[in-house]
Amino acid sequence: MAEDLRTERKGLILAVKDLPTLPKVLDEVARLVERSDSSTDEVAKLIAMDQVLSAKVLKMVNSPIYGFPGRISSIQHALVLLGFNVLRGIIVSTSVFEIMSENMVGLWEHSLGVALASSTVARAAGLRDPEEYSVAGLLHDLGKVVATVQLPELKGEIEQAVKTKDLLYIEAEKEVMGFGHDRINAWLADHWKLPPNIKEGLSHHHKPHLAQLYPDMACAVHIGDFMARVFEYGFGGDDNVTYLRPEALKRLKLKPVDVERILDHLSEQFLEIADLSFS
Amino acid sequence: MSRETDTRAAGYGFTRPQLVTLLTPDAEFAALMQGMWPESVMQVSHFTRGRRAIETLFNDPPDLLIVDGELADMPGLDVVSLVKSENVYRQLPVIYVISQEELESGRDWLAAEIDDFLARPLRPAEIRARVLLTLARASRSFDANPLTRLPGNTSIIHRIQELIDRREDFALAYADLDHFKSFNDKYGFSRGDEVLMMTARVIVNTIRSLPGIRSFVGHVGGDDFVFIVPPEVVETACQRLVATFDNIVPSFYDPEDRERGNIQSTDREGRLRTFPLMAISLAVVFNRDGSLKHYGEASQIAMSLKKKAKENPTSCYVLDQRRGDAPPPPSDLPG
Repeated sequence: MAEDLRTERKGLILAVKDLPTLPKVLDEVARLVERSDSSTDEVAKLIAMDQVLSAKVLKMVNSPIYGFPGRISSIQHALVLLGFNVLRGIIVSTSVFEIMSENMVGLWEHSLGVALASSTVARAAGLRDPEEYSVAGLLHDLGKVVATVQLPELKGEIEQAVKTKDLLYIEAEKEVMGFGHDRINAWLADHWKLPPNIKEGLSHHHKPHLAQLYPDMACAVHIGDFMARVFEYGFGGDDNVTYLRPEALKRLKLKPVDVERILDHLSEQFLEIADLSFS
Repeated sequence: MSRETDTRAAGYGFTRPQLVTLLTPDAEFAALMQGMWPESVMQVSHFTRGRRAIETLFNDPPDLLIVDGELADMPGLDVVSLVKSENVYRQLPVIYVISQEELESGRDWLAAEIDDFLARPLRPAEIRARVLLTLARASRSFDANPLTRLPGNTSIIHRIQELIDRREDFALAYADLDHFKSFNDKYGFSRGDEVLMMTARVIVNTIRSLPGIRSFVGHVGGDDFVFIVPPEVVETACQRLVATFDNIVPSFYDPEDRERGNIQSTDREGRLRTFPLMAISLAVVFNRDGSLKHYGEASQIAMSLKKKAKENPTSCYVLDQRRGDAPPPPSDLPG
């Protein structure tokens, strides 16, 4: 692809100002922050289900204005540091998608599924702070959302390529845009000064074996993405199950019996959140 | 300085009459200024010449300096730069009075260390507004901590003494960080500043999360902070602060140190030593039924409590129990 077209598209993507979300969680959070007796934990649990609200909160708390860029990767910590006043500001300035496509609802469910699966994998692998794996799982497809908002004219082409050529969404992205959402994720994470471990999860969930700094993070999100697709929870943009890299399991020292245990655990968890809907 | 709050001055939001030094050859302007507010709000001393005013300015700096560009003996701006070049007087706000011609011709506003201006012809309503705004702005920024922008020492002492004088019950908490120095030594000052910014934010938002109370948070400097809340909620505040701080602080370490739960740093003698992760220590002094008479008393009690809090290497709080004061009722942690 021509270098200047890529630069132009990158510029458009990073210029994202108004990232909309789905109304369900937004309305609920808005209700909660207006009440004087709601706790940070309650609000954090809710925000941790919505990839756009979570991204906005982390972007704000990691901005240089607060004085500790790249340090905060937990929604709960972010809310404590921002405070309800700032959160209220984020809520009132967030819009909702004008057209609620089924694909968007599916993508929101998929990202929640991957959040759940990634933290379950992290727990099974005995990693510290499993909530951070949940955050990376939640945000792993954020690049798809931002591309949809900033390059809407290409969205249809990508979906068409997925259907007619039976491609993975990321393959179709590369064919149409010249880069995948993993690359967009890396750009966004740098631009928004997200912590390096979150960045690695976002940028390397399709190629965990190439992760340099936080391979555990990339591997957990990679496996989490695979598992959410196995359970067909939500819709990641295509009907395929991604290739599960054996290196990822090896790195996290997960044996087949561990994977089975994780799958059992997840099947219960997914059942629990099955009636939860973003539409 | 009077410790008592002057109620008439307070009507304008000031805790005492404001002292204004006016340097102008314009007698009409001086008369206008002197008649604009009662003496209990604003006390205007008028000088027609610059040189005479300088010594008074240095000996007894006012709250506001208004300088006319056209003084008989020297340019008004020379007086301004004389005052502003000394660090101890820099915070004194200056309003500069200029002619329409000077305004039109343009001047180097970035180089002149002035805070606001008045252009002739002078209109009473505008003078009034500029003077009050400049004083308000100066009091807001005067002793704010340059890093966290929280109120600094002068505001802190002032607030404590004000509450003592009003015989209002309050709990005053001194917060500081254990092992902050070794963190700074290992990671450098800018990483240390990150922790201070985080700490400020945690204190402010924790205090603000207690519904419906009057509170105050200040930054003494370095890793020393204070906050004031009603006695009945202070223990809840301390518990939440300790929990939140301990939760968040590991994020400010490099992954290996965070994993290990300590850092290695060289001490003053150059020996390699192991230090635990930073913790927050809180010492709480109470004022009940006017038990405190003076600010100094509060800080003295706090310092001895702090020693006790420091004996515990983890985050903790110590409440002052002297003079048989009943401890506040134990409050359950919500959430």
